[in-house]
Amino acid sequence: MSLYFFDIDDGEVETRDSTGQELARSEDIRWSAISVLPELAKDALPDSDKRTFRVNVRDEAGTVVYRATLTLVAEWLQ
Amino acid sequence: MKNATAKRLGHGAALNREDLARLDRFLHPVRRVPAGTDLIQRGETVSCVRLMISGLSARYKLLPDGRRSIMALLLPGDFCDLHVGVLGHMDHSVMTLAESEVVETSQSDIDGMMGAFPNIARGMRWIDMVDQSITREWLVSMGRRRADRQMAHFFCEIYHRMDMIDEVGSNSFALPMTQEELADTLGITPVHALRVLQSLRQSGMVQFQDGRISIPKLDSLETFAEFEGDYLHLGRS
Repeated sequence: MSLYFFDIDDGEVETRDSTGQELARSEDIRWSAISVLPELAKDALPDSDKRTFRVNVRDEAGTVVYRATLTLVAEWLQ
Repeated sequence: MKNATAKRLGHGAALNREDLARLDRFLHPVRRVPAGTDLIQRGETVSCVRLMISGLSARYKLLPDGRRSIMALLLPGDFCDLHVGVLGHMDHSVMTLAESEVVETSQSDIDGMMGAFPNIARGMRWIDMVDQSITREWLVSMGRRRADRQMAHFFCEIYHRMDMIDEVGSNSFALPMTQEELADTLGITPVHALRVLQSLRQSGMVQFQDGRISIPKLDSLETFAEFEGDYLHLGRS
C-alpha cells in the first residue's frame, strides 16, 4: 500500500489533497481518479455550458502519476 | 440518571417509574465489543435482539464487487435488530464503527416487556417509525442533495440525535468514523468525501479533531444544508 494524493480542479476551485488515500494497485488509483469526476460534475452542473473537471494523482514523492479529465461542452445549434 | 434508551423511548412516550425500573432490569448484562466487529450478519436467523448502550454502529450491505453501502448509523439507545424475530433472518449486517457496549436479549423478553408495559411498547414503535423517517430523509439526500449539503445535513442530523441522548457538549460530539465509512454512508467516493470535508472545514462551519465533530454555529450549518429537523420528530415529548 502506498499513499496517493488527489488534487482536484473542478473548473472553479482547486483543492490540494493533504490527507491522501492508501491504495495498493494501479487499478485502484485509476478507479478512484475517474469515479470522482462524475461526482464533481453532478454537484457543479449546470452552472455553465463549458467546464473542465480534472484530478491529478500525486505519489508521496510529489510526482503526478495519473491524470483524469472530464470536459463538458454544451452549445445551442440554432 | 436515565440511560440513552430511556431518553430515546421517552421522546415517544411518557415513561413512569415502573417503566424505568423495567428498562433498568432489561439493560443487563452489557457486552463490550471492539470496533470493526459484526454484531449480526446478513442471513443470520438468531432470535437475539441487540441494543446499543454506548459507541457507534452501522447497518450495511456489501455489493458483489466489494463496495459497501452504509444505510443507517446506530447511536446509544438504538436497536440493532428489533424485528429480526418477526422477519426471520437479517437482510443486512450491523457492524461496530467504534468500541461499543451492547445488550443482548431474547425476542420473547422484548415481546413480554412490550405486552406488559404499553408505554415502553409505544416508545419502541416511536423509535421504529423515526428510524424509517430517517431512512426516507437519507434517500432524499442521496438522490437529490449536492454532496456538500448532504454531508452538512448528515452532521446536523447526528448533532440532534446526539443531543437527544445528552451526548453533545460544547457544540461537539464524538463521531469516530473513517473517511471511507463516511463516504459509504453518503454514497460517494472517499476522494470526493475528503474534498467535501475540506470545503466544510475551510468554511468554518464544521471542525474535526480526534474523532469529534464540532459545529460552532448550528443554525449556519442548518441553513447551508437546508436542514429541516421535523423528520426527527423531536417536538413530541
